[in-house]
Amino acid sequence: MMGPFPSGPLKWLQEQPSSRLLRSFPASSSLLYTQHKRTPSPSPSKMLWVDKYRPKSLDKVLVHEDVAQNLKKLVTEQDCPHLLFYGPPGSGKKTLIMALLRQMFGAGAEKVKVENKNWKVDAGSRTIDLELTTLSSTHHVELNPSDAGFQDRYIVQEIIKEMAKNRPIDTKGKKGFKVLVLNEVDKLSREAQHSLRRTMEKYSASCRLILCCDSSSKVTEAVRSRCLNVRVSAPKEDQIVKVLEFIGKKEGLQLPPGFAARIAEKSGRSLRRAILSFETCRVQQYPFTNNQVISPMDWEEYVTEIAADIMKEQSPKRLFQVRGKLYELLVNCIPPEVILKRLLHELLKKLDSELKHEVCHWAAYYEHRMRLGQKAIFHIEAFVAKFMSIYKGFLIATFG
Amino acid sequence: MGKRATIVLSSSEDDGDNNDKDFASKPILSYFKKPKSRAASAPRTNTKASKKARISSSRSHPGKNVNPFDEMKAFCEDFGEGFTGFKVSAGHRKDNNKESWIDKYKPRSIMDLSVHKKKVEEVKLWLEERINIKKDNHSNHNHVLVITGQPGVGKSATIQAIASHLGATVYEWNTPTPTIWQEHIHTTNAGLRYMSKLDEFENFVEKIRKYGLIPSSPTTKTQKKPFVILIDDLPVTNGKISFARLQRCLNLLVKSVCIPTVILITDYGRTDTADYTSRCYEELQTSLQNAGACKVAFNPITVNAISKMLFRICREEKLKIKSQQIDSIAKASGGDIRNAITSLQYFNLKSDSKGISDNSNDLDDVAFGRDETLSLFHALGKFLHNKRETENMITITSDTGSVSLKEEFTRLPMKMDVPEKVLGQAHGQARPIADFLHENVLDFVDEEAIDDAWVVSSYLSDADMLLASLTGARSRNYEAENLVQSTAASVAVRGVMFGNRHPLSSRWHAIRRPSLWQVEQSQWRNKKEMVGGRCGVSLSDLSVIATEWKPVSKWLGGSMGGGDMVDDLHLDHSEEICDDVDEIEDW
Repeated sequence: MMGPFPSGPLKWLQEQPSSRLLRSFPASSSLLYTQHKRTPSPSPSKMLWVDKYRPKSLDKVLVHEDVAQNLKKLVTEQDCPHLLFYGPPGSGKKTLIMALLRQMFGAGAEKVKVENKNWKVDAGSRTIDLELTTLSSTHHVELNPSDAGFQDRYIVQEIIKEMAKNRPIDTKGKKGFKVLVLNEVDKLSREAQHSLRRTMEKYSASCRLILCCDSSSKVTEAVRSRCLNVRVSAPKEDQIVKVLEFIGKKEGLQLPPGFAARIAEKSGRSLRRAILSFETCRVQQYPFTNNQVISPMDWEEYVTEIAADIMKEQSPKRLFQVRGKLYELLVNCIPPEVILKRLLHELLKKLDSELKHEVCHWAAYYEHRMRLGQKAIFHIEAFVAKFMSIYKGFLIATFG
Repeated sequence: MGKRATIVLSSSEDDGDNNDKDFASKPILSYFKKPKSRAASAPRTNTKASKKARISSSRSHPGKNVNPFDEMKAFCEDFGEGFTGFKVSAGHRKDNNKESWIDKYKPRSIMDLSVHKKKVEEVKLWLEERINIKKDNHSNHNHVLVITGQPGVGKSATIQAIASHLGATVYEWNTPTPTIWQEHIHTTNAGLRYMSKLDEFENFVEKIRKYGLIPSSPTTKTQKKPFVILIDDLPVTNGKISFARLQRCLNLLVKSVCIPTVILITDYGRTDTADYTSRCYEELQTSLQNAGACKVAFNPITVNAISKMLFRICREEKLKIKSQQIDSIAKASGGDIRNAITSLQYFNLKSDSKGISDNSNDLDDVAFGRDETLSLFHALGKFLHNKRETENMITITSDTGSVSLKEEFTRLPMKMDVPEKVLGQAHGQARPIADFLHENVLDFVDEEAIDDAWVVSSYLSDADMLLASLTGARSRNYEAENLVQSTAASVAVRGVMFGNRHPLSSRWHAIRRPSLWQVEQSQWRNKKEMVGGRCGVSLSDLSVIATEWKPVSKWLGGSMGGGDMVDDLHLDHSEEICDDVDEIEDW
């Protein structure tokens, strides 16, 4: 399937439209989780299952099996192009990337150290000090450039430059380049993406980029066209069930029939989420019972509570209380988009269907403004106010 | 004093003369201070005035023009020296009428001061103590006094007056003239080296710390008089680094100086909390206090005190100005006596030219006084209370307005100035204004009116968006920035006022500080914590940590969050937890 890759990745990319790339990595997904023996990890008892059963290599690892196999072929047979992994959270992007790195560099890629690096960036008239956590091995560096906030563009350039400087010597059997893994590329500012584009070409001889993001639509066209796009779709529910059963077997747990399916259903097709809540259930109650509650995340419960508040009373005073609760969520770093989405979800559950359309419209409206704006609370609150106003009008119209 | 006594100079003489005699390396521009015989001479207690005096004196002797070169040199070290027993004649202007009243009616004694008696007493006591102590032993006390207050409340005048009362001489650090960059470029080939004002200040502080001002030589002991150093106008600092330097330098001063030193800090823009420089000064004050300096805060001068002073001037100048007018001048000055006196002089000028008989009743056409300023809270109160005219007024206005709006869009006319004007008076910046309105507006919306609440919050969301577009624009276009700022502010304010159709009847509301600020801070802290604690096999997105890892790790018992145990503490902790889990399993 990966056959027609000429050696020069960029040339190839220019020849083929990116839409075709998608086809070469089919969306159909199979398990990330292998049937292989558990890889020895330093302290298995202390690890979360998510990490414990994370497949370690492309071979062992099946996940989205065909994707993994294609990637393997790519790095063994050809020069590796820049890669862009995208897909919803919990679909296995990171796992694939890590396994890929291992495939490229061997076990050395697993010996990582976490560092808080300070960068001094010379920006013309002044120097900017930036601090960023990086995860690096001898062969790769991983980081979240968006942590640097609005100064992300400096980070991107600086790191790539630095990596280019200490370019590893191309000895036999070793790759003559380092890999830079950038997470959350979709959260990079436009400027940063532009500078990424330029540096990508300039230093492509010494460094490969692996970009990772949730949605490729927020990555500029220019960056996308310079990468091999790898879509990692969300696993289907039955696939999640399979993974859960596999883990259950490994852990020696008794799974009542249908239990794994319920977790999978609750997970919203996020494998990570499913495994996490599986483990939580295990801690909360074992042996499992069929009617065991699969508890949502605490913040989700909190949002449900907020939604109930909103439905109960529609007044400025209540709006003010809701604001306080929203603050609570924001303080805990729950992203405002997630809050709004969840809130809408909860509100829609209880809503009369004739209002749904309008409410969705306003949610989208304020979500957009939130992205344009600076302080999320202004917009979430405006949505809540609008909802209250709509709902109150509806109540009065119906019940007088 | 030895050497120094030989270089008595008056301000009116060539400044260059003494350049080489003192501090051999640095040219000094000294000029005259004469606290004792001030009554007879042109009084120059105020620093501002003395700066003026320097300029005017050089002008009055055109033959001895100081060339610009010397003037540039003079920036380097520039503080006044005082001498006694020397009569200043040159300072006298021939034409007394032309003299600025601020100089003319400078307070000459403590009695003349309009500053509150208690504060004067406080400062006096402090100075007395220091001066007396100095004779016995040198450094068991702190010798620094910080005086704060708005501009024009008589901070330096008080010091001068008290010093002259105690027979002390005041030495001043005067700010060097700022260098204009182009000018500097122009003069570089003349061999002038640029020296940052902060450097100069540091040098100055170093000098007085190490050497004191005057070498106490025994020969002059009999005539020796106590000294007070007055530091007005701290150098402007820009950015954290230079501010830290200033702070360090002042702290050193506080700790080691042996001569009574008074530092004046002017409170600018008391109302504007978001202003960076004012916050700096506040920080500076506290750090100075921590280092052991005393602090006395001067309040604005009361309207009564000002009008008393103005009356006195009127009496002496034989002016015919109505008490009502004086009152309004006093009121408009906002506690700034310097401003009040200038206004009076200007006002007098105007009525002179017009002819005194002219009806000076209407004060409105006389532009005097400072622009009225409002505190931010006052302005916010105006917006939030949203006071409107009563019903019947609207008919009049709607008649005049050619466009008739639909009923839902009409509002009663506002009972205040145009919001933009109020904003200008309050020096409100858009961001804090929007935050404050957002925090407080819901208190002022009627309980039933959720629709209003929506309109209001929708407008605030608009304002937020405008403000964000500001930060997004990388190109530093200040004009555009200003425009967007003011647009955002007026959208926020007008949105709040328009949206709130049914304002609650006015009752007392406390205006809260936006809790959003606190939220943002702790959010930022949490974020940092998460980013810092994030480790393990892979760096996860922050959102994933917040929404998935954290809640799960809470269930699983704390520290398993990142999935990887880096530090030992965490390791131990999680082992314990694992044990617990095992136990439960056994049960």
